[in-house]
Amino acid sequence: MRASLTIISLALGAALPLAAQQNGVTGIRDLAFGTVFPGLPSVVSRTDAVNSGRFDLSGKKNRDVQLTFVLPAVMTGPLAATMPLAFGADDAGYSPTQSVGNETVTWDPRTSQTLTLPNTANPKVSIFLGGRVSPAVNQRAGGYTGTVILNVVFF
Amino acid sequence: MYTATRVTILALALVAAGAATVQAQNNATVNVTAAVQQPITVTAANPLDFGTVFPGVPKGVTLASGSAGRFTVTGQGSAPVSLSFVVPANLTFGVSNTLPITFIGSWNGINDPAGFGVVFAGATAATFSGTGNLYVFVGGTVTPSVSQAAGAYVGTVQMTVVY
Repeated sequence: MRASLTIISLALGAALPLAAQQNGVTGIRDLAFGTVFPGLPSVVSRTDAVNSGRFDLSGKKNRDVQLTFVLPAVMTGPLAATMPLAFGADDAGYSPTQSVGNETVTWDPRTSQTLTLPNTANPKVSIFLGGRVSPAVNQRAGGYTGTVILNVVFF
Repeated sequence: MYTATRVTILALALVAAGAATVQAQNNATVNVTAAVQQPITVTAANPLDFGTVFPGVPKGVTLASGSAGRFTVTGQGSAPVSLSFVVPANLTFGVSNTLPITFIGSWNGINDPAGFGVVFAGATAATFSGTGNLYVFVGGTVTPSVSQAAGAYVGTVQMTVVY
């Protein structure tokens, strides 16, 4: 009896780290503003099925996750030219069904957000991101890029 | 019994310790991308010049004339733009002498006035050439009265180009 208790307990203890291995986040799609014109701000909505940024998360059901974006203030272009990039309220959205436009929770990506994964086996969810770029009237022509990081803590 | 309880407590403590450390962190990145088009530059390349006119004799300047006004514009190749104008109803001389004027215009991707018509009330859609050039030509007619005061009359045509 004593031996059985110990084995069961140790088995449980060993199973938890294995469960943690199921947690993951992957960058799926870039936030793409496409062609923009000097002096004309351009907006990409988080509900844009083609141009919004997208991350996919997987984890365990009912598990809380904390999402924190690291957002660039500018994009960098030719000859180190920069172009302002902004994010605001409702620019981030969470879809438990991985469907853009079906975000059940939206928030300002400049702040952290804690969510609970769906009560389904091995849930997979998506996070969508929109934003706004503001090229100056004399913005240097060319391609601009930046990087968005999504840090996820799985509780 | 005492021993069994101790083992169980120890085992549960181990489980609890495991649960406390089940907090995984992970991160991923996506890029943000944009392609900025060439900025628009507008240059007044040639003034609209009616030269000498005579009282009571209207005088026109055609778009193909060397006296026609011409703007040259550069921007993103093949990009659509909108042209709009602010034009005077009269040329002026001094504080009270006016000379009525009307305008005609055209735009083209090459330096040729035989292009597409423009309107001076409202916006005109135009397109840069593949190499990012646009030419706008402005002609018109002045109608001096028979009692038109002699003098040098001037006015300004303003053109705005936006993507």
